[in-house]
Amino acid sequence: MRARNLLLQIAPVFIVALTSFAAAQTASSAPTQSASAPAVSLDFDFFKTRIQPIFLKRRSPDHARCYACHASGTGPQYLVKLSPGSSSWNEEQSRTNFENVSNLVNPDDPMKSRILIHPLSPMAGGDTTVLHGGGRQFESKDDPDWKTIAEWVKGAKASSAAGR
Amino acid sequence: MHVYVTNLAGTTISVVDVDTNKVVQQIKDIEVPESIQPSPDGSRLYITQGPENVLTVLDRKTQKVIKKVPISGHANDLAVTKDGKYALVCISETPGALDIIDTTTLERIKTIPTKNRLHDIVLTGDSRYAVADSPQGKFAIVFDLKTLEPAWQVDFDQEALVPAIENNPDGSGRRLYIQLSRLLGFAVVDFETHKEVARITFPNDEPKVPPSGTPSHGLGVSPDRKTLWAVSRIYDAVFVYSLPDLKFIGRVHLPQVTPPGQNPVGGSPNWITFTPDSKMAYIANGADRSVSAVDMTALKVVARIPMGEEPGRMSTLLLP
Repeated sequence: MRARNLLLQIAPVFIVALTSFAAAQTASSAPTQSASAPAVSLDFDFFKTRIQPIFLKRRSPDHARCYACHASGTGPQYLVKLSPGSSSWNEEQSRTNFENVSNLVNPDDPMKSRILIHPLSPMAGGDTTVLHGGGRQFESKDDPDWKTIAEWVKGAKASSAAGR
Repeated sequence: MHVYVTNLAGTTISVVDVDTNKVVQQIKDIEVPESIQPSPDGSRLYITQGPENVLTVLDRKTQKVIKKVPISGHANDLAVTKDGKYALVCISETPGALDIIDTTTLERIKTIPTKNRLHDIVLTGDSRYAVADSPQGKFAIVFDLKTLEPAWQVDFDQEALVPAIENNPDGSGRRLYIQLSRLLGFAVVDFETHKEVARITFPNDEPKVPPSGTPSHGLGVSPDRKTLWAVSRIYDAVFVYSLPDLKFIGRVHLPQVTPPGQNPVGGSPNWITFTPDSKMAYIANGADRSVSAVDMTALKVVARIPMGEEPGRMSTLLLP
């Protein structure tokens, strides 16, 4: 019984470790912002409900979805490929996405996070050292989706965003 | 005559009329279009796309999808043989392959496995051979299109990028030119001996700009076989060499992007195509969201044509 209890206690640790390993494998070709844990606490529920839909959204006729390049295309593979017939990610896939995308957050200076700066137009303060191969996905910091991502990297919680 | 431009970070293909140098049509709902080639008779457009492992076949006039042909993996560049019989698709997903699509049945008839991922592809003028590069594998591989088998391969000490072929008057391959990831210039391969015979470097007499991606991406021999055009991101220019002697003739500067309060960055020139009369060259500038129309005799930009998001590969179609 004691051995079984011990197994039950350590099983979640293994699951977390395996999830992290899978995330690392998935994002192996993806440049990471930081290997250390972010100073701000990134909220998974906010990510799942507010950030992930941005990755799947065609925001204008001129922009491909983030998903189009970062789940199966030529870009770094931060996102899990959707299961056949699915239009969104399940819990496990969302966890993997969360792990991968969290690595693009600068814990010391969230507003300089790669996820914010890289797809932002260089004319609006975006990356000029290596331009985003996927073009200017956000023309300005006034873009509502860019603002939502900014909220998340600064530590917004799903509960605090409820009702907006 | 039209130039078809893939807006590879978008969902459109822009069609430029070369008489006016203006966009006259937008083909929509093609997400992440990688490469586009017309059929020789101009009736169809073949398109590779980022998120879908298909070759999309469009009716050029109606813009309706004729078929999405399943292919063996994520595609990059494609080519169509001179007789229109085959569409050849580079598979850029590990382990890499060349897919061959029969354009009559619109079925994939063969997948030729390669040792690494393939990126760009060009054909000899007689369509006897196809040459594809593998950046990751650091090689260029030549396929015999009679046997549909690999014929020979040339290895490099760095990533092999965009290839171009100089043909003999009968359309057979004479020399293969190829851009390499750490070479500010291009390598020269003799088609008969299969050996690299020279490396040509660009004149280093002007300031460089931070490139977006690889330092070079875009190479082409003019249809009259008199000049070779090499696009450089790091110099934000296209360098022109005479053929067959490979003498530097001149360069054409391309648009830069200047963020407010910062130094200019490169406009990320991506690709080059020519009009069949060798009068005009068109160069896609990814970061500048434009195509430069260049007078090939005067070596001068005559128009900057606004494009969609990240214009990339292009092809020219002489309308039937």
